[in-house]
Amino acid sequence: MLQSALFEGYDPGAFYDEMFAAPGQPRPQYRKLFQKLASMAPGQFEEKRKLADLAFLIQGITFTVYSDGQGTERLFPFDLIPRILARSEWERINRGLSQRVVALNLFLQDVYGRQCIFKDRRIPRSLVYSCPQFRREMIGVEVPRGIHTHICGIDLVRDSKTGEFCVLEDNVRTPSGISYVLENRLVMTRTLPDVFRAHEVLPVDHYPAELSRILRSLSPRGEAEAQIVLLTPGIYNSAYFEHSFLARQMGIGLVEGRDLIVDGGMVYTKTIRGLKRVDVIYRRVDDEFLDPLSFRPDSFLGVPGLLAAYRAGNVALANAIGNGVADDKAIYSYVPEFIRYYLAEEPILGTVKTYLCGKAEDLAYVLDHLPELVVKPAGESGGYGMLIGPASDAKRIEEFRRCIQANPRNYIAQPVVPLSRVPSYDSEGGCMGGRHVDLRPYCLYDGEKVTIVPGGLTRVALQKNSLVVNSSQGGGSKDTWVLRGED
Amino acid sequence: MLSRIADSLFWLARYIERAEGTARVLDVNYHMLLEQSQPSYRLRWEPLIVMAGEADRFRKLYPEVNAENVFEFLAFRPDNPSSIVQCIAKARENARTIRDCISREMWEDINGLYHMVSQFSPQDEIAAGPHRFCDRIKFGAHRFHGVTDATLPHDEGWEFLRIGWSLERAEMTARLVDVQYHNLLDGPSAADVLDNHQWMAVLRSVGAYEAYQREYHAPIEPEKVAAMLMLKPQHPHSIRFNIETVRAGLRAVSGSGPGTYANEAERLAGRVVERLSYDTVDEIFRQGLHGYLDDLLRICGSIGEDIARSYFYYAVVA
Repeated sequence: MLQSALFEGYDPGAFYDEMFAAPGQPRPQYRKLFQKLASMAPGQFEEKRKLADLAFLIQGITFTVYSDGQGTERLFPFDLIPRILARSEWERINRGLSQRVVALNLFLQDVYGRQCIFKDRRIPRSLVYSCPQFRREMIGVEVPRGIHTHICGIDLVRDSKTGEFCVLEDNVRTPSGISYVLENRLVMTRTLPDVFRAHEVLPVDHYPAELSRILRSLSPRGEAEAQIVLLTPGIYNSAYFEHSFLARQMGIGLVEGRDLIVDGGMVYTKTIRGLKRVDVIYRRVDDEFLDPLSFRPDSFLGVPGLLAAYRAGNVALANAIGNGVADDKAIYSYVPEFIRYYLAEEPILGTVKTYLCGKAEDLAYVLDHLPELVVKPAGESGGYGMLIGPASDAKRIEEFRRCIQANPRNYIAQPVVPLSRVPSYDSEGGCMGGRHVDLRPYCLYDGEKVTIVPGGLTRVALQKNSLVVNSSQGGGSKDTWVLRGED
Repeated sequence: MLSRIADSLFWLARYIERAEGTARVLDVNYHMLLEQSQPSYRLRWEPLIVMAGEADRFRKLYPEVNAENVFEFLAFRPDNPSSIVQCIAKARENARTIRDCISREMWEDINGLYHMVSQFSPQDEIAAGPHRFCDRIKFGAHRFHGVTDATLPHDEGWEFLRIGWSLERAEMTARLVDVQYHNLLDGPSAADVLDNHQWMAVLRSVGAYEAYQREYHAPIEPEKVAAMLMLKPQHPHSIRFNIETVRAGLRAVSGSGPGTYANEAERLAGRVVERLSYDTVDEIFRQGLHGYLDDLLRICGSIGEDIARSYFYYAVVA
């Protein structure tokens, strides 16, 4: 048994602990980190932690929360203990995600194209058409190079019961968080350089270059003169930091809807020297706000006429419009079937048992077992509007029961997944405590292959016993390492 | 360059300059009065509020014009849109909307300044007097200039920045001279010594006192101070210096050569430069300093408006 002041009294508990196989016994990939930290006193660690916080504050790496009526900037808490994945484990994740991204893309091509999957009766047409994110306007539209899912952020969790990773959610609309992966790495290497240097960690900083390459390849006018822009809803959006970060990293313009204008079916930027044509838009504005002429008429974030320009092939969008149908939480339970149907392969990564409240027998089960289930609105993202049965009182459960009964199609339920934990610093207690984590790797698809930067964003529920890792709900993040050598 | 970006750069610079200018005037005025036993307190603080263009707002908020109230109002009040803290917040907000177009160093500098300023406690600073606070603001603004100069490519974006802060500085100087001069004429005819102090303070507030001594080797006279602050082509706070910079920036953006102009802003800037190059201080005083400065300020306003018309706004096409 190894000793360390920092981990004194640390209890891995009843959950799968990513660092410790048993009390005082780090797993192979964590051994070196444990030795390095063993020599550190809690006071020293606290000092390092404060330095890291200051770095985030000065760099303005913040996100915005809406719940208090006006957008407030907050730091995204960063926990200094990295999450380390063994190389072999990562390779399996990599293959599983690539398979999934390709299948999701084929599904979207099919649903908005020939619709073979309905004819072959692998998924009910009514389930797809009733999805609020299904966009009729996209039927028959041939998107550039057949790519719908350029950027996916697929959430994985490790189930403490099996110790295996499984997919929790597919985010194939406008997933965010990659900027934190890159900034966490930077702050990590500056704060604990010697610890970092002792490991051979696979790099992540090629993400912007790869994304830029894919965006450029979509240009309808050829790559040389392409103007590529990132469309942001503006500084009040929770992910604004990321939008400006990525624009800077890729050397492309960061624009708001009011900077763009559609004229004669072409999209232009308004510059100090007149209008300049836009070829590719990496849009971080949701479908329903993109074009007030086609979607929500009250949207000021979009560009009137954008959809028509897109359909005419004069401008490329990433991701494509209408992707929400693929990450709908009810559709989620069919993704293993998509993999079998489109790729004739068995899914590499498992999924979580999902009850569709739109199905009569599932609904009955869900209503009977609400206190032990997690209920999610099928079309939402960001952890908003969820019910965590075991953590809720009777009043809230009854509220949810009424919501579900009023609109069953809009809800799904899953058993509570006992997420794995990683030691994280508890600044109030001044000690390490096990905190639940998930993992969001970022997948880029160029139509032929899927590129995933090693690791991804580990989100951590910093509140003791909490299972909610979303930044909007009090979560933080960790640097995530995939080690080069064989474990 | 996007019109919105150019607009934000222009205002980012103006807000930084306005914060610095306000800090300078506050600091100098406070210290000048420490050395005096004159009871004419109100008289000496009033011009600062007039200069900021916020006299009405001040009177609604405070019963009395004194050092503490003026300091709080000009430095900290969140409901005074020209207070130093508000200017820094707005400068940072502008920087935040264009983070992809400014250097990382610039962003971290302005963001750090913002966090530093928001951590100051108004009560503590008022008790300590304005020097510490104002010094940090001045230093912060200077550092931002330096960081910008050293890390931002000197391209179009840079031009909009320097147009922004030069135009703002020209206006600040014009108001400073106008208000102090006005005040001296209106006030009771105090001793010459006092007037001397007042003009010394004006010079110090723009860092021109030593330059004045080197230049004139003479007692402080209002005419000479006015000449220095309006007409000297070398002094970085003189109106002429700054409008020349505005003109240079505008020409760099449009590409127009000497003797030509691409828009109204350039024409007006060119005309002001010509006037300030060939008018003498005697002529200016003969035709009335106040009227002359008032005219300059109006033209500065028009220059700003025409820059916006030429580069920032697109008419809505139905």
